[in-house]
Amino acid sequence: MNTTVLRSWAAWSPGREDERAWRAWAARPVALEREGQPEVAFLPALLRRRCSTLTRIMLATGFGCCDAADRANARTVFASRHGNINESISLFERLSRGQPLSPARFSHTVHNAQAGLFSIAAENRLPSSSLAAQDDTFACGFVEALTHLQREPERAVLLVMADIPLDPTFSPLVDEPVAAYGLGLLLANDGDGQKIAFSSAASDAPPAPRAWPEAMEFLRWLIGAEPDLELGSGRVRWSWSRVADGSAQRTGFAAPSTA
Amino acid sequence: MMSDSPTPPPCSLKALAMLNALGRSNDEIWPRLVSGDQGHLTIRDDIVPDRSLWVGEVPGPLPAIPESLRRFACRNNALTLAALEQIHDTLDDVTAAVGRDRVAVVMGSSTSGVSDAERAIRHQVETGSLAPSFHYEQLEFGGLSRFVAELLDLRGPAYTLSTACSSGARALASARSLLALGLADAVVAGATDTLCGLTTNGFSALQVVSDEITNPCSRNRKGLTLGEGTALFVVTREAGGIQLRGAGESSEAHHMSAPDPSGAGAETAMRAALRDAGLAPDAIAYLNLHGTGTALNDAMECSAIARSFPSPPPCSSTKPLVGHTLGAAGALEAGFCWLMLDAQEDGEIALIPHVYDGDFDPELPPIPLATKGMREPVGPLMSNSFGFGGNNCCLILGKGPA
Repeated sequence: MNTTVLRSWAAWSPGREDERAWRAWAARPVALEREGQPEVAFLPALLRRRCSTLTRIMLATGFGCCDAADRANARTVFASRHGNINESISLFERLSRGQPLSPARFSHTVHNAQAGLFSIAAENRLPSSSLAAQDDTFACGFVEALTHLQREPERAVLLVMADIPLDPTFSPLVDEPVAAYGLGLLLANDGDGQKIAFSSAASDAPPAPRAWPEAMEFLRWLIGAEPDLELGSGRVRWSWSRVADGSAQRTGFAAPSTA
Repeated sequence: MMSDSPTPPPCSLKALAMLNALGRSNDEIWPRLVSGDQGHLTIRDDIVPDRSLWVGEVPGPLPAIPESLRRFACRNNALTLAALEQIHDTLDDVTAAVGRDRVAVVMGSSTSGVSDAERAIRHQVETGSLAPSFHYEQLEFGGLSRFVAELLDLRGPAYTLSTACSSGARALASARSLLALGLADAVVAGATDTLCGLTTNGFSALQVVSDEITNPCSRNRKGLTLGEGTALFVVTREAGGIQLRGAGESSEAHHMSAPDPSGAGAETAMRAALRDAGLAPDAIAYLNLHGTGTALNDAMECSAIARSFPSPPPCSSTKPLVGHTLGAAGALEAGFCWLMLDAQEDGEIALIPHVYDGDFDPELPPIPLATKGMREPVGPLMSNSFGFGGNNCCLILGKGPA
């Protein structure tokens, strides 16, 4: 059992861009939209032009849950199941035709492209991880964020989880709730916010069918009142629970802002 | 960067298995490594159109992925399976001792099953449908760690870090933290990458691939030589043996595909690793360079070393022997340090030589390069890994107190 403090959060999905919209969704959740991208007006125009949809979502949610100081001074974890695989498909097609690749497009297919762009945009020179873990990606992103809190206990960690719908080339091969979405969580060992306990255990129970991604199920729990949340992939059961602790109530969250 | 946490518990790198161009087992790899044998690189003219390139390919056939896991059947996972088979006994013992729900998997990769996906897409371009043997689990990064977890029926956290060429080093750093946190009692950690068209053509388009075997630190260096390989460790909280003693990391906020020419990010990572290990720079007995042989990397890395070490230790790049194995490089090069420590004799270790044309670039700050036959008293060893997107990780391995 490990405990951590969730200092603030921000989430984005097409048509749901502020706290009020997410509270309404959490009260009556429906499948999330698949098409659209955030404005990211806070980015310089030169950088904005290089941003794919996934990059925009990750930067909007990452910037949205951090103030300027956190943004430059937090360690970061970027979790995405599919990452930039859609961007790679056209490069695979070019390769199969013997055509040359664009160096800039190739550079943006690496899984840590968003981490690199965030580091540039936020002038953040702190350690950063990018990861994937199939349907455990959100939970493992949370685990990796805890490892950064272990490595440097005084420093906050920004966890960003986002995905966009897979290109039709591959989407028939993957059974998952399809959505364009992102969730940013600012985690720390102390400070104001919701104190959360986390643990994992072996499980053979098949995962519950869900109409929205696991990260969004976590958000629904966070906004709501249930004491505990369990998510699982059929291999591992991930458990989160609220720890009642003085002022640590959900009113402590900063309102998400993408400005 | 600086950790103020109490001294972390021991972090034993209990067992190691590797495959790379030099061989398919530690016993094959070590003598070739320490003698600086470049004879296992080969030439391929079928990866980049109109170019013949030296590459470091893993020789010979690989084991078949079990039928029940055929959705994971790609070369990257077959390389991983071949390594797992070598450390089967240790894995069984450790899993029996701590329980399978207490064993985590942290892998690194920058390619995963890209080479198989390329074939699947070529099939689609030619026939209108993906190759029938293709499954998405072969391509997605998370497929690698899930493959290991399902093969061994491990029930701890299992994920794949993909931070370009620092992935494998970062996997070991995360494994150590999982143990310190108590989120696992043992971790299968390492990295695997496979030669593929995407990365080779991508690096070629970035004009960083050499036509000759990579020649790091030379004034005549013309870029990198690509390779493939896997290195897997069983990591536990035991004392003694060979330990992961420190890790240091940084980002650069500089550029997506070029390092900060000042070397500031590399310097931050090295200094953080030394602090984390509680060591002074002069304690380091040897440094395994990132040493890709590109103009920019070697210049910034040598500057960073010259600033971080009042008197730098002997250094070598192993990329002229096995190629640049991308995300696997950080794990393989930690593995090479492990082999040096494991082969110690009479309180001394034989250093892996820096194999190049001998014409040290006078524009670079001078750093001592290890030569064949050089020996040093046993001490902690450092390994540098610097990735695309400005993502750096430096590890320190050493003998632990028994």
